[in-house]
Amino acid sequence: MTAARPQASGGRRPGFGAVQALLGLVLAALCVAPFAIVLVVSFGQVVEGASWRWALSLENYLRFFVGLEWPASTSFLYLQKLWWTLVYAGLAAVIAVAFAFPFTWLTTRQSRRIQTVWLVFLLSSLSLSEVFVVMGWDVLLSNRSGLPMVFRETGLTDWLQSVGWFDTLRDWGMATPRNVRFKTSVFATVLTMSYLVFPYAVILLYPALSRLDPAMLEAARTMGARPFTVIRTVVLPAARLPLTGAALLLFVYLLGAYVVVSVFADPARQTLTITIYESVRGATLNAPFGAAQAVILLLTAGGFLLASLRLSRLAEAKA
Amino acid sequence: MSRLAGRLYLAWCALFVLAPIVVVCAAALNGGRTMLFPPEDPTLERFVEFFVSDPVWTRALQRSILIAVASAAIATLIAWPTAYGLWRRDTKLSKLLAASMAMPFALPPIVFGVGLGFLWAFSGLIGTIPAGILSHAALHGALPLATISIGLQSIDRAHLDAAATMGATERTAFRTIVLPQTIPYTLSGFFFALVLSFNEFIVMFFVSASAYATVTLQIFNSLRNGFTPTMAVGAIVFILTSVAVFSLVARFGDLPRLMGADPSRR
Repeated sequence: MTAARPQASGGRRPGFGAVQALLGLVLAALCVAPFAIVLVVSFGQVVEGASWRWALSLENYLRFFVGLEWPASTSFLYLQKLWWTLVYAGLAAVIAVAFAFPFTWLTTRQSRRIQTVWLVFLLSSLSLSEVFVVMGWDVLLSNRSGLPMVFRETGLTDWLQSVGWFDTLRDWGMATPRNVRFKTSVFATVLTMSYLVFPYAVILLYPALSRLDPAMLEAARTMGARPFTVIRTVVLPAARLPLTGAALLLFVYLLGAYVVVSVFADPARQTLTITIYESVRGATLNAPFGAAQAVILLLTAGGFLLASLRLSRLAEAKA
Repeated sequence: MSRLAGRLYLAWCALFVLAPIVVVCAAALNGGRTMLFPPEDPTLERFVEFFVSDPVWTRALQRSILIAVASAAIATLIAWPTAYGLWRRDTKLSKLLAASMAMPFALPPIVFGVGLGFLWAFSGLIGTIPAGILSHAALHGALPLATISIGLQSIDRAHLDAAATMGATERTAFRTIVLPQTIPYTLSGFFFALVLSFNEFIVMFFVSASAYATVTLQIFNSLRNGFTPTMAVGAIVFILTSVAVFSLVARFGDLPRLMGADPSRR
């Protein structure tokens, strides 16, 4: 420190502009360029063998929407993949939020200390790799040990057979002639996906629910409302936007699920992530087509993300 | 009555979250080569394999740690000026920088992974460890960016004005006011990025190009080629790392506040 010059706060320090310029370069190369490259490659053309060249063709997108043989014949194979991507993610997101809402509400009513313990617990399970979660449920749902064994040993299977629900399960592909079977099924996929995002759902709902004005709840209670009525008439309407916002964000997150689908979903009901991998690195090797599928997944996710941003703006404007 | 129902519901949720974790941990004790639950012929042999004797797993663990620590450090380093710029000067450029840093984390990681795969292939770095580190730094930069921003917002601007009136330069104010108050948030961000990198799968799947395996990649390979109980040990390592790290964050930082609780209420 030589001379103590008075300086207005927020005054421009020479050098910070240079830092920001450098930062811009780094971020452009690492964070933005990969997306741009995917977009450019998606217009490329595959060459005999596994290589490809730059081009400006729409054939990859055409193949996605109407199939390779178009216009002689049309195939909606990849639209079907997109459909399953949306179905799994949508179901799992809604289920996770539905279970997380009462959980978060009950947690925020505890003391700060207990809240911290719950948060550590949830964050730990949230950071768990998709690979790990799938491995756990794979053991839990496998036919040799886990839930099917529990069903048989406790007589639940016999009971299901005696009431006739067993046949319904068989129609859904969730039972062998002798016992229930969870792998591979839509049920196992959605269950594991909702498990994956349950902690996220709690974390997303936590700010909104922990900031609810206690005076409002107190007022409802002194007027004689029972706890359930308070939740239904005060908490739920106040949390409507955060709930929808959370479901949307989880939905977008789940659009990218890969390991769950590759292990638990029936091959005919797999998602875009699987076919993207197969095109880019796996068996079918067609990088431009893989990139085109990735762009479509990206646009889908981006669209829903924008919608959720809109929604949170709306929530802020209301608050 | 409703209080009891509430408790039961919380307990049920905890059980749901714990179930697969417990199963995997127990599976690590299996004496045989198959994943069974409950474990048969319990032994600690798999732990020795994972940490000491099986080079496939020890190498994977070393790489995971290297990539997690290095990428978290780089992510925090890039996130600092981005967050600071956003807080100090609310310009279009600062907003653009922050948005581009948040983008990879918000969009499906598989798309980012495919893009990074092309990027590293063009630059000839695909399958190298530095490429893996930079990829994870880019993917997880959003986390320190968020925590550091929360930390900066918690600084009372009156302190800065006071410092400025008393003649402190921005540099001095930064050193004496901003930095000390944001250290817990910086560390939290670093640890969030660390844990997520340690557990990340899909981006690494694309950028490693089978040249090397981290623990998650190795677990996925074992998932496809038949289970081995050794991979369950890897999973236990994840759990313990996560619990330890988040407990540290909770101990030294204000976790409820980081997660968005109202700071005024206790």
